Amino acid sequence: MSRYYYDLCNRHRGKAVEITTRDGRKHRGIIRNVDQRRVFIQPLGGGRRIGGFGYGFYGYGPYGYRPGFGYGVALGAIATLALLPWFWI
Amino acid sequence: MQPTYMNCIAELGVGGAHPGGLKLTKEVLKKEKIVASTKLLDAGCGTGQTAAYIANKYGCQVTALDYNTVVLEKAKARFRSMKLPVHVHAKRGNIEDLDFADNSFHIVLSESVLGFTDADKSISECSRILKEPGTLLAIEMVLEDSISDVDNLSEITHFYGIPHLKTTEEWINMYRNAGFKHIQVDKYKPNLESHNLENSPDFSLSDEIDDQLFDVLRKHHYYMKKYDNILGFRIFYCNK
Ligand SMILES: C[S@@+](CC[C@H](N)C(=O)[O-])C[C@H]1O[C@@H](n2cnc3c(N)ncnc32)[C@H](O)[C@@H]1O
Repeated sequence: MSRYYYDLCNRHRGKAVEITTRDGRKHRGIIRNVDQRRVFIQPLGGGRRIGGFGYGFYGYGPYGYRPGFGYGVALGAIATLALLPWFWI
Repeated sequence: MQPTYMNCIAELGVGGAHPGGLKLTKEVLKKEKIVASTKLLDAGCGTGQTAAYIANKYGCQVTALDYNTVVLEKAKARFRSMKLPVHVHAKRGNIEDLDFADNSFHIVLSESVLGFTDADKSISECSRILKEPGTLLAIEMVLEDSISDVDNLSEITHFYGIPHLKTTEEWINMYRNAGFKHIQVDKYKPNLESHNLENSPDFSLSDEIDDQLFDVLRKHHYYMKKYDNILGFRIFYCNK
């Protein structure tokens, strides 16, 4: 297991993130949960692109999506993880 | 559930749902004298990010109030899950008609809330429950003075559920009328494209999220860009 990404994902639970996996795919959504092997993210917009500031949030679930849980991305497959900002009034 | 902006914030459980996020909150609070005995009300606390921060940082007596039960439950869950040094009192209530006694608080903080209410009522309630001296700190959206295109405004007020979009002058007058003698105004200029991580809000999602709420998010994003030069943001420091 990837200790580094496990800790990072745990710390950023509830944050909107962009994860790039080693295969080059981008996963954007909110971190719901982390276990020893995977981080579960909730794609915002159920597959449709939605606007954020300067980026689009979209999610697709190659690993099987379950409402309320998000879908899992293997911790070992993560290349980069970045927090996404947002603006609210 | 109606797909409104406010319900979107509630269902997504956005923490720091105001211009500037937690980063601006910290800067505003830094200017105030807050000690352990300070009684502070976060009026319209949302999911409680600010109230939790204040309890943690200042260890003072924090009350977090909101009338929306979805966000209030998320705020309570947040307080429970954190090891806060003091208990945060979470309470359901309407800012336009508070059931606190007169002179109950030293500071009332209201981050992007008054603008969504009948502000005459809510500001005078804030004034009533404040001690003397006492401070109301408000972060609010304003209409930049130069614009008078009324057609545009209804699109914004309708979407956000704002009764009336006020200019800085209008806000100041309302604070004065409610008995605040010293009012200082700071301008806050957001950078919509900036990737400032301290502005990254936290989310506590409801289990099932209605697809329509994502349309609301999309629209919000669109309006913020479209009305970038009409909408401004201010921090009001009001002392009575
Ligand atoms: C834009 S959100 C800001 C929430 C919080 N202050 C924050 O910064 O994350 C506005 C909040 O005000 C609350 N609110 C609006 N009108 C209210 C009223 N009359 N009484 C109490 N709360 C109210 C809403 O339920 C919502 O949680």
